Amino acid sequence: MDFSLTKEQKFFKDQVSRAVQRIVAPSADSIDRSDTFPRELFRELGSLGYYGIRYPAEIGGMGADCVMFTILSEELARASIGFAAIATMQCLMGTDFIHRFGTGEQKERCLFPAIRGEKIGTIAFTEPDCGSDLGGIKTRAVKNEKGYLLTGRKLWITDGDVADFVTVAATTAPEKRLGGIGFFLVEKGTPGFSVGQKIEKMSARGAATMELTFDGCQIPSDGLMGEEGKGAKYLNDILSEIRIMIAGLGLGLAKSAFVSGLRYARQREAFGRPIGTFQLIEEKIAEMEVRIRSAELLTYHAAWLKDRGSLTVKEAAMAKFYSTETACFVVDEVSRIHGAYGVAEEYPAQRYFRDGRFLLFGGGTSEILKTIIAKDTMKKCEFEIN
Amino acid sequence: MNILVLVKQVPDPEALIEIAASGKDLNVEPKFAVNLFDEFALEEALRIREKHGGTVKAISLGGPKAIEALRTAIAMGADEAVLIEDEAFAAGDGYNTALALSRVLKKETFDIVLTGRQAIDADRGEVPQMVAQFLGLPHVGVVVKLDISDGKAVAESSLEGAKEIVEVALPAVFTAQKGLNEPRVPLITGVMKAMKVQIPRIAVEDLGLTKDMAAPENSKTRIVRYLPPKKRPAVQIIPGEAREAAAEAVRILIDVERVI
Repeated sequence: MDFSLTKEQKFFKDQVSRAVQRIVAPSADSIDRSDTFPRELFRELGSLGYYGIRYPAEIGGMGADCVMFTILSEELARASIGFAAIATMQCLMGTDFIHRFGTGEQKERCLFPAIRGEKIGTIAFTEPDCGSDLGGIKTRAVKNEKGYLLTGRKLWITDGDVADFVTVAATTAPEKRLGGIGFFLVEKGTPGFSVGQKIEKMSARGAATMELTFDGCQIPSDGLMGEEGKGAKYLNDILSEIRIMIAGLGLGLAKSAFVSGLRYARQREAFGRPIGTFQLIEEKIAEMEVRIRSAELLTYHAAWLKDRGSLTVKEAAMAKFYSTETACFVVDEVSRIHGAYGVAEEYPAQRYFRDGRFLLFGGGTSEILKTIIAKDTMKKCEFEIN
Repeated sequence: MNILVLVKQVPDPEALIEIAASGKDLNVEPKFAVNLFDEFALEEALRIREKHGGTVKAISLGGPKAIEALRTAIAMGADEAVLIEDEAFAAGDGYNTALALSRVLKKETFDIVLTGRQAIDADRGEVPQMVAQFLGLPHVGVVVKLDISDGKAVAESSLEGAKEIVEVALPAVFTAQKGLNEPRVPLITGVMKAMKVQIPRIAVEDLGLTKDMAAPENSKTRIVRYLPPKKRPAVQIIPGEAREAAAEAVRILIDVERVI
């Protein structure tokens, strides 16, 4: 058994950490306060090649494995959840379908510039009336002689206001529910495609979540990513990776918050001694560290299993559930350690507190994930649980 | 244009450092980084290569962990790297460091040697000059601007309250000062390359040196004792209106602290 990162992985983590702390961290507060897309920063990280981390070297990527991608998620989240949400969307969900199924021309037009940080990609499946219930989406794709006619509304679309292209989930056969779903590439400027209202939110500010409307958008035949009705399967192919990535975000946020809480507990004095020496604060510190370590093990274990080709849906669900709940626990405890300063704008504790909530729903809510975990466990024989 | 960059791995600026009970050693949290001034040197070397062509080779002396500093150099864009791996020499004095480095340099063909003005661990700033001396090369220190053309260099050095412009024939040794450039953040592909690259290691014996040369009893300088810096006195807040408070501050600086 070996629970440590390899020398190479440690070097990678160190380099990514230094880059993110130098480039992203100084802007974390201003991204949060202005709640605007940090275009310059986005381009800078793109020019360094980060958005291609999962993709092969031949197309400008670096062919990194899941452990390395998780390291990147964690380090980005240590600096800014808002920016981490933007960057990981670009690395994974926003570009993956076009990488797998796009034509050469589509890749030239969208994917390659996206890897360089020159174009922004996002994915759209959530709708006003459906999130976890993907099979219930109402956005329709109706086949016609030119391809598909897309009609519907999407909500909670990250970077929807700035995206140059969107991978949109729509159904060609609503009665088939998940079996009717397909993903369609919609580029900015397509007639009928419009950006609606922004959902003002307290978490992951900077990564705007928008309403998108598709009002009879004519999509060419090759705009269908892969085959009709296979969208849910395609999404499933990357769902565990998405969950591990979000577990990485939770871990990064939890660690950042923990360090700030620790610093405060060491510096702040009450009754003539640092508050960190009082037992009730010690209890918080111990509890936080144990949970963070546990989340770290679950997260990197899942990433390691993914790289070995033996990841199960349950392992990824456990990592995402536990890591994001840990992040929420830690940001709450850190806020309490700060006392009234926990809500003061001059300390990052309030930002961590707000950002924690962002991690609870994307990639599956804790409730859905627990259902997945329990259903799998119920099927198992007792000896498998030991 | 072949450029050699001398790089040192030093404790991370945020690493916890304590004086050991003996008073003769330091306990340093095992968190390391490339010496900041060497990063300026590396960046300058890469810029010169980008302008004039050639190669950049990073050289370090240190223990096995110093390989990470060289990996960082490769990640930033250096073509090659080599480590003189020896714990005794790494812990030894500047003379032995300069001697070992200069032995490696003698085997190389180069136009420029660049390094930081000092390492931010011991802060002695003595190795580059000694390297230049061992090689019989000119040395220009504390460089904030460097122009290379026609086999010579025009270097601008930062002096206290002034600048000095020096013209020197190549090859020469230059030490980088803050302000020379802004070191680049490595490309992710550079990081990937650096993760996998095999960096050759040289033993001091291969350089005609022996380990005992770096032993404390044979060193030219010896650390007798470390003393912690004076504890900073508590902050004094001067109350009152700005004008009166400023006058009071000046009075304290002149009459009490006697610093102006």
